[in-house]
Amino acid sequence: MANLGTRIYTRFKGRLVGKDADGRCYYEARTANRTGGGLTRHERWVIYHKGEDASVVPPEWWGWLHHVDEAPLPESARQPWQIPYPGNRTGTVDAYHPPGSDYRGGRRAASTSDYEAWVPEG
Amino acid sequence: MVKVTVDGIVVDVPNGSSALQACEAAGKEIPRFCFHERLSVAGNCRMCLVQVVRAPKPVASCGFPVAEGMEILTDTEIVRKARRAVMEFLLINHPLDCPICDQGGECDLQDQAFGYGADHSRYQEAKRAVKDKYLGPLVKTVMTRCIQCTRCIRFATEIAGVPELGAVSRGENMEVTNYVEKALTSELSGNLIDICPVGALTSKPYAFTARPWELKRTDSIDVSDAVGTNISLQVRGSAVLRAVPRVNDAVNEEWLADKGRFSVDGLKHRRLDRPWVRVHGKLQAVSWQDAFVAIGRRLDGVPGDRIGAIAGDLCDAESMLALKDLMVALGSPNIDCRQDGADYDLSQRAYYTFGTTIAGIEDADALLVVGSIPRQEAPVLNARIRKRFLAAGRGGFPIGLIGTPTADPTYSADVLGEGPDVLAALRDGTHPFAATLKAAKKPMIIVGHGALTRPDARAILASAWALAVETGAIGAGWNGFNVLHRAASRVAGLDLGLVPGKGGRSAAGMMSGGVDVLWLLGADEFHTAQIGPKTFVIYQGHHGDAAAARADVILPGAAYAEKSGTYVNTEGRVQRSFRAVMPPGDAREDWRILRAFSEVVGHTLPYDTVEVLRERLATVNPVFRVIGGLDAVDAAALPGPSDGGAVLPAPFRPVFDDYYQTDPICRASPTMGECSRIYVHPRTVAAE
Repeated sequence: MANLGTRIYTRFKGRLVGKDADGRCYYEARTANRTGGGLTRHERWVIYHKGEDASVVPPEWWGWLHHVDEAPLPESARQPWQIPYPGNRTGTVDAYHPPGSDYRGGRRAASTSDYEAWVPEG
Repeated sequence: MVKVTVDGIVVDVPNGSSALQACEAAGKEIPRFCFHERLSVAGNCRMCLVQVVRAPKPVASCGFPVAEGMEILTDTEIVRKARRAVMEFLLINHPLDCPICDQGGECDLQDQAFGYGADHSRYQEAKRAVKDKYLGPLVKTVMTRCIQCTRCIRFATEIAGVPELGAVSRGENMEVTNYVEKALTSELSGNLIDICPVGALTSKPYAFTARPWELKRTDSIDVSDAVGTNISLQVRGSAVLRAVPRVNDAVNEEWLADKGRFSVDGLKHRRLDRPWVRVHGKLQAVSWQDAFVAIGRRLDGVPGDRIGAIAGDLCDAESMLALKDLMVALGSPNIDCRQDGADYDLSQRAYYTFGTTIAGIEDADALLVVGSIPRQEAPVLNARIRKRFLAAGRGGFPIGLIGTPTADPTYSADVLGEGPDVLAALRDGTHPFAATLKAAKKPMIIVGHGALTRPDARAILASAWALAVETGAIGAGWNGFNVLHRAASRVAGLDLGLVPGKGGRSAAGMMSGGVDVLWLLGADEFHTAQIGPKTFVIYQGHHGDAAAARADVILPGAAYAEKSGTYVNTEGRVQRSFRAVMPPGDAREDWRILRAFSEVVGHTLPYDTVEVLRERLATVNPVFRVIGGLDAVDAAALPGPSDGGAVLPAPFRPVFDDYYQTDPICRASPTMGECSRIYVHPRTVAAE
C-alpha cells in the first residue's frame, strides 16, 4: 500500500494502465512530465501490496514500467510451462541455499583441496 | 667442428651431431615425437623431416649426421608437405578423445597438430584399437593413443635399466607391451608419464583430476631422498595435485624418483592441523597459546642438560637452525639430527658429502659401493651411475658392491662381499677388485648408510677414505670419496652442527631416559617404545605418525610444500624451495613456531623474518650463502677422518626394507601404500 502522498499524487496525476495477475496497479502520468532516455515522457509507477519490495514486479510489466516497452506483455503471452514469478526470495523461508550452506547442514561436497586431519586414537 | 648452413644461418656443430642438433643450434625448432635428448635415436616417427640440399628426399633430421658444408632447409614447401603427410598418418589411428585425455593441454601431438594437422580427415576406414596394458599402480595406459614412438621402451631399457617394455608385431599392428602382465619394477617409472609425447602413458593417481592450465606451478625440492631433485609442485586451490621434475643437469637431469613424484597425495592425509596437549593421559585439542603454556610449565625448573631435541629427515635448514638456537638458549647441549644413529666425522665437509658430485659420476671409471643400495636410496643418482656404465662400454666402468643387494642394481656389478672385512682385503691388495680400483684413473667410492649407521661407522669411514687415498680416488683434481645420504635434511643438519655439544647426548641417549623433555622436530624414524615412559615428548611436525601418538604436546608444522625452505643435498649443494600451498588449519611454518615459543620461555630468538633467519644461516655456515652451486674441495690436502677403533665383522644391512614407506608423508600416502603392497609385499596379496 502506498503512503498518503503517493495516493494523492496518483489520484490527481495518474491514469490506471492496468493490473497484473496479482492485482498490483500500474499507473502512468496523464501528461508527459518526466525527461528520461533523451525525451520527455509519461512517468510510470506501480503501487505494491503491503510489505512487498521492488523485485515482485512480474516480467510482463517490468519492461513497460522501465520504459523498455510501450505496452505490457499480454497475459495471453504466458506459456503453460512458465511457473508464476515469485519475486526475490532472499531472506524468506523459501530462500535458496546452495549445497554445503550452513542452512543446509553445512556439509558441502568433497573437493580435491580437502585434507584429512589426524586425530588421536582412543 | 663442422660448418653447416641451416636456412642460410651458418652454425658450427661438433662432429657426429645430427642435423636436428644443427637446426637447434641455429635456433630452428624441429617438431619431433620419437627423438629425446637423453635417449638413443630411434628415427621412427618421421616428424622431424627436413630438406638437405642435393638429397633426393626429405631426411629425418634426428638420425641424419651432419657433414661439412651441408645445407639444411627447415621451412620449404617440401618440408611442410612432408610433415603434414606424417601428421596425417599419425592421426589416422590416433583417437579423437582429447576432451577426455589427461595429456590434453600438454600433449606434443596436440601442439604439433596445431602446426601441421589438416582441418579435416580423409580417412574413412575403421581405426585401430589396442588393448590397454597393466603397468602397475603408477602408470595408466590407454594404448589406443600410442603413436609408437618407442620412447618408453628406450627409457625403460636405457635409463631405468629394467628391460620390461618392448614392442610386438610390426607396422600398424605394432603394440608397446610388457610381454608379461606385471607392474614395472622401477623406481623411476613415473618418468614414463613425462616422456610419453601423447596420452598413452599417464599418471594413474592423477587421472581425471585437473587440467594443466588450471595448475599453479611452484619450484620446490624433493625431500623424499637426499638427491635434492628439483621439482615443480602443481597446485589447484589448496591441494598439491602432482609433482613433476624440473631440468637440472647437475642434479637430476630431468628425472624424478617415484616416491617424490607420487607421495604428494600423502600431504592430504593424517595431517596435524591443530595443537594437542595430553591431559590426564588423553590428547586434547587446544590453542597455540595453551600448548606453549603447557610446554613452558613443564620446562619450568628443568635443568638445560635434561632437555633434548631431535630433528627429523624432512626438515628444512631454517627450522633446524631455529631448533638449535632454542636449545642453546635453554642451555641444552642435547641436540641431534641423526635419528638413525649414524656417525660421521664432522671436522671437514668432504667427510660427509658426495665429493665426486652427481654430474661427476660421468667422469669416473671405476666404482666401489660400500653399504648402500643406490637404486633404492637415490634412484635418480642410480640412473646417473647406469648412464656412466652404458657410456663406458663393456668393462669400461667396473662396479663393486660391498653389502647385500636386495634389488638388481640395474647395471652389472660384482658383489665383493657382505661385510667391512672386504674393505680391509681391498686395502692390503688381497682382493682382486683392488687391482681394478688401482688401475682406474678416476675411481670413486660411495659409502652409504648401511655402513654409517653401525657402531663402527667412524672406523669404516676412515678405512674407506684410506682406501680412496691409496687407490688414487682422492688426488689432484679428483675427489672420488662420496657419502650417499638418504635423508633430505641430513647434510644441512650436519652443516649447522645439529650434533650433541660438549657433554651432550645423542639421539639414542636422549630417548633412553637421558632427558626429561624431548623435542622432536618431525623425527619419526624410530620405534616410539625406545622413548622412556617418563620423558615429556613434544612433537612438532606435519603428519600424525607414530611419534605424534606418543607425544605429550603436538605442535602442527608445515610439510615441505607449505614452506619456503633451504635444503642441502648429499653433494652439499644448497637449494631453496618455495611455498606452494598454505599449511592446513592452524599449522604454521616450523621456524615461526620455534620463534614464537622462544618468546614464551623468555629467550626470544633474534629473527622475525625468514630473510634475517637466512642471514643467520649464512653466518653459522658460509656454505648457505651460495644457492644451487658447489665449491670444489681439494680433498687430497685433507688429513682424512679420524679413526674410530675396531671394525665389527657383521655384514652391512640395507638402510630400509621398503622403499615406498620411508617417511611420514609416504606412509600417509595411499598411492605409496599401494606400491608397497604390490612391489614389496606381493606374497601377502597373493595369499589372500
